[in-house]
Amino acid sequence: MSGKFVRLPAIFLALAVVGALLPNLLGSALVLTLLTQAVLSAILATGVGFLVRQNGLVSFGHAGFFGIGAYVVALCSTYHVMPIEAALLLAILAPAVLALLLGAAMLRLAGVAFSMLTLAVAQAFYELVLRWRGLANGDDGIAAQLPPRILGLDLGLFQQPGSMFTICWIALMLVLLGLSLLITSHFGTLTMAIRENEERARFIGYQTIVPRAVIYAISAAIAALAGVLFALYNGFVTPDVLYWSLSGEALVMAVIGGTRAVWGPALGALIFFLFKNAAGDLTEHWPAIIGGTLIVVTVLLPRGASGTISMLLERLGVRAS
Amino acid sequence: MLIQILNGLVYGGLLYVLAVGLVLIFGLRRVVNFAHGSLYMVGAYVGYTVAAIAGFWAGLVVSVLVLTVIGAILDRFVFRPLQDEDPIVTMLVTFGLLLVLEDVVRTIWGKDFLTLQPPPALSGVVLLSGTNFPVYRLAVIGVAVMVAVGLSLWLRLSRIGLYVRASSVDPLTTGMQGVDTERLSATVVAIGAGLAGLSGTISAPLVALSPSMGGYILIDSFVVVVTGGLGSFTGAFIAAMLIGQLHNLGVVFVPGAASMIPLVLMVMVLIWRPGGLIKAGA
Repeated sequence: MSGKFVRLPAIFLALAVVGALLPNLLGSALVLTLLTQAVLSAILATGVGFLVRQNGLVSFGHAGFFGIGAYVVALCSTYHVMPIEAALLLAILAPAVLALLLGAAMLRLAGVAFSMLTLAVAQAFYELVLRWRGLANGDDGIAAQLPPRILGLDLGLFQQPGSMFTICWIALMLVLLGLSLLITSHFGTLTMAIRENEERARFIGYQTIVPRAVIYAISAAIAALAGVLFALYNGFVTPDVLYWSLSGEALVMAVIGGTRAVWGPALGALIFFLFKNAAGDLTEHWPAIIGGTLIVVTVLLPRGASGTISMLLERLGVRAS
Repeated sequence: MLIQILNGLVYGGLLYVLAVGLVLIFGLRRVVNFAHGSLYMVGAYVGYTVAAIAGFWAGLVVSVLVLTVIGAILDRFVFRPLQDEDPIVTMLVTFGLLLVLEDVVRTIWGKDFLTLQPPPALSGVVLLSGTNFPVYRLAVIGVAVMVAVGLSLWLRLSRIGLYVRASSVDPLTTGMQGVDTERLSATVVAIGAGLAGLSGTISAPLVALSPSMGGYILIDSFVVVVTGGLGSFTGAFIAAMLIGQLHNLGVVFVPGAASMIPLVLMVMVLIWRPGGLIKAGA
């Protein structure tokens, strides 16, 4: 047990340092902008993938939690309801609590019904923001009136690709570290057992709804963290952040990367952005490309990139021994 | 008040026609068609285009036929090859289709809102409790009632209907009894998609056409299907009527938050009866 608590943090610390140094080595503004977006999306995709991994459930509505996180930051800072630090905390906790409550009701259903409802919940929030113009200007979007200093850092640091890349990268590493420790804990193995056979876990004497709802809440909080960082980075939020094409994008990343490894979806996000960059002029038809990719990858590459890598490594290992 | 209730029945009727298609497909294939709202939207656009050339009724017939064919294709090339996979795989694929179809329609017809006029024979109004109420809306309620009656007669009295009900309860055993579930599924998915086309076209004169029009009604029809009890035809009817009324009251009294009301109802029903209102197959 003790090895895990030394080894994993060391790996992630090393990765965090490498990532933090990267902007200085690259220098190119275009590449950095792209990478910052990629890492932001990687956090969202990690949330989506973690739900698949621990609960065996697919969410078609993580844009909902991402968007709520972003809107809470924008609205709280614009109406000066509370200090920005409190707003950031609320922006992550509110979606998590919402997911916990919804999960407690929705997880009693079959997985198929759960997936339908995740989409329904996210679209309902999309419609709410779109139609209730008094709240956040509907589809015109809302500019966040952010204070000059946040968490002791200059606002500028959050809005320049170079420094924001480092912030998002460290956030991603912390999320991955947290999840890696979580999945080997008692709670992690319990939720895996429930995923494999809910009935058996219940017969052994475990309550099976609450642990799964907690996983759903953690996954929602990760998506909301990505939304918060997005709002700080852009300073402007439109209802698009709640729309189903964003949920679709996050799913594509998780599927490309594969969900068996915690880091799979994040890898998927990086591959996705390389692909998006290569698509170039086709971005006008972006939703169709996301949809098409989702179909192709789901059918042809069910393990995803991380699954394929692990499989290759295993084979090499067998040959070496 | 009568007018409000009637408007609720109009939306409830449209929802029912869409949701019952989802229930049919779920019964046979055990998958949820995330592209169902897109089929509704495509139906509305096909109806709009044909109606501009050959009149409303031709638009309605062609739209239902085109969507029925699309449904058969969907079953043959998506649901059938993927039936042995995890249902998640099929859901991901239909979700991908949703994104593709929305983009295809946006490319062909553009982003701008389009409007379709109701047929001349139904464009008048009738005086109901002191208010003018469009005849077309009454006709929509009539269509929904006809679909509901027609479907339940078909499901209860015909042999294929018996197979469909049996399959909704247990597809595996039904197959073992010698029912050709493949052919049955193709028929049922085609009917489900055809109903989405019907719902799309008859709703076209009531709402503005846009590539994202399927989104709003898809949420509500998902909520209807789950609240009614996944796989229950009667449950879908009751839930559609209930949510139609609540939606309409919401639009009148809290227009900004109307989209939240069906969700609240659903969560309450699920806490009260986790399986939904009615058991599957009924």
